Amino acid sequence: MRATRLHLLHMLTGVLIAVFLGIHMVRLHLDSILDWFGVDTTASTSWESMIDRASEGIWAFVYIALLAVVLYHALYGLRGIILEWKPSVKTGRIITWSFIIVGIAAFGWGTYVPLDLLLS
Amino acid sequence: MKQIQPRDNYLGARGWVWAGKYKLERHLYVLHRVTGLGLLLFGVIHLIITTFYRYRGEDVWESAMSALSNPGFKVGEYLVAAAFVFHALNGLRLIIQGLGFGLGRPAPPIYPYQDALRKKRRWTIAMIAVIAVLALVLLGDSIAGGP
Repeated sequence: MRATRLHLLHMLTGVLIAVFLGIHMVRLHLDSILDWFGVDTTASTSWESMIDRASEGIWAFVYIALLAVVLYHALYGLRGIILEWKPSVKTGRIITWSFIIVGIAAFGWGTYVPLDLLLS
Repeated sequence: MKQIQPRDNYLGARGWVWAGKYKLERHLYVLHRVTGLGLLLFGVIHLIITTFYRYRGEDVWESAMSALSNPGFKVGEYLVAAAFVFHALNGLRLIIQGLGFGLGRPAPPIYPYQDALRKKRRWTIAMIAVIAVLALVLLGDSIAGGP
C-alpha cells in the first residue's frame, strides 16, 4: 500500500510541477508576451529583477512549493531507476534513506535562501 | 519430458538505452527516462547557481549570467526546454493511462460476444455503400464523357 501511495504522490507532484514550472517558465522566458499584457519583465535574469522577485512573498511561495514537488518527483524517479538494479533489501533501505536525507538537506537550503532574502 | 524455458526477454540495465524489438511506447519510456535524468542534472546545477551565486553579490551574479548566455549554454537551455515539454506531455499520457481513464468498463463476455468488428459492421457497410455510390457516379460520369 505504501508503494502505491508513493507512486500516486509521484503522479500528483508531476501535475503540480507542470503548473508551478509553467508559471516559472512563462515569467522567466516569455518576456515579450508578458510585456504585451503590461507586466514589466526587463531582463528576467538581471540582479535587479531577481531581487525584485525575491522581495515578494508570492514568488517565495512559488519557488519553495516548486522546490518541494520537484525534489520529491526527481528523487523518487531516480530511486526507482536505481532500485531496478535489484539491490538487497538492506541496500535498498540504505539507498532510500540517503535519498530522504539528500532531499531534506536540499529542501532546507533551498528554503532558507529565499526566506532569508524575503525577510532581510 | 522436455522442459519449456521461458523466453529470456529481460533487458536489464541494457534496456535503458536499447528498446529492443518493442513498439513506440518503449521508445517513449526510454526518452522519458533520459529526459528525466537530464532535467535532474539541470535542476541540481540551477539550484546551486541560483543560491550560492546569489549570496556572492551582484558582480558574481551578473558575470555568471553573462557566462551562461554563451551559445553552448543556449543550446543546452533549448534542450532542457524540449526535455521539459516532452517529459510533461508524456508524463500526462502516463498518468491518464495509469489511472485507467478512457479504457472503458470491463464487461462479462455473454454470447453473442460484442467485439469491434460487430459493433462497427453497420458503419463499415454504410461507408462502403457511400464509396460504392460515389464510384458508380464517377464511373457513369466518365462513360458519359468524363469530368
